[in-house]
Amino acid sequence: MDITSSLAIIFLAALVHASFQLSVSVLTLLSGHSIGAKHSQARLLRLTSSFVIGAAVMTVLLLSFVSLILIQFYSNNPPLIVWAAASGLLVGVALCIWLFYYRHDKGTALWIPKAFAIYLNDRTKATKRSAEAFGLGLSSVLGELLFIIAPLLISALVLVQLPAFWQLAGITIYTVISLLSLLIVWVLISSGHSLGKIQKWRESNKYFLQFVSGAGLIVLVLFIYAVEILGSTVGFN
Amino acid sequence: MTLSVDVIKRGGQRQSEQFMRDKLHTSIVATCLSVRVPTGQAESIAHSVCEAVIAWLQQHPEVTSQDIRIVATKHLRIQHPEAAYLYEQNRITI
Repeated sequence: MDITSSLAIIFLAALVHASFQLSVSVLTLLSGHSIGAKHSQARLLRLTSSFVIGAAVMTVLLLSFVSLILIQFYSNNPPLIVWAAASGLLVGVALCIWLFYYRHDKGTALWIPKAFAIYLNDRTKATKRSAEAFGLGLSSVLGELLFIIAPLLISALVLVQLPAFWQLAGITIYTVISLLSLLIVWVLISSGHSLGKIQKWRESNKYFLQFVSGAGLIVLVLFIYAVEILGSTVGFN
Repeated sequence: MTLSVDVIKRGGQRQSEQFMRDKLHTSIVATCLSVRVPTGQAESIAHSVCEAVIAWLQQHPEVTSQDIRIVATKHLRIQHPEAAYLYEQNRITI
């Protein structure tokens, strides 16, 4: 696979990752508690920035970890069966997203373990320092592992085949793109937009986002199936 | 001010507690501030919502925290719909 196609796959996988909403929910709540507690704008900025940095660090760590495991097992050339299994996982996760991603109630509550949701809720309320917000950012990415594992795995499979420089570029592209939704909400909150309006938009469009996430994974799997699996079978690669 | 009203906590897993006006007041003020309502107006809204909730509690010696949230949201909606929306969403965002 050439570098452009590889980066295109990483870009699309990261876009799918960006459409997941747990970190955005936690950031919204964190900002709400901070503004409600009459913290200064500077402190709000510090907390939210630390949260975003935490989410970025965990994304880099997870992507690097999955890539490292793949390199350990398959060097820089994963066999076709791994691509096929990863494609199957993507289809499974896409179906899960369409069926379960949001809980079928009001609000934007997600289909993650209830205990973890309560933990995040309580921690968000208790967060007063930048280091705690950083830890919350790390946890919020981990909490969605069930869903983000699909785009992470595909990106890692692509990354391990690239030369070292492009691996770094790939990790950077994935991290920046996957944080886009979080960054947009962060900018909106920092510039004084109302949390009510942001949350209302998220609730009104939650089923659209759910559809887009699942559809993005299906498009990704079709592309990978055509390029990697069919390409190898008929000898294009 | 403390009424002799037992508030059963969410899920019934934690011990019930007496109703505390200050706690409700603080949470309403915090929600109003979250939607950038000025502090004075937030205090005034919280005062009026607390009064409405206390009036409702006079006929209900035992309630759940969710009941209080619903009644408070209803009265907050009259004063500030956006704050009411956010207050309602607090537990169902994640």
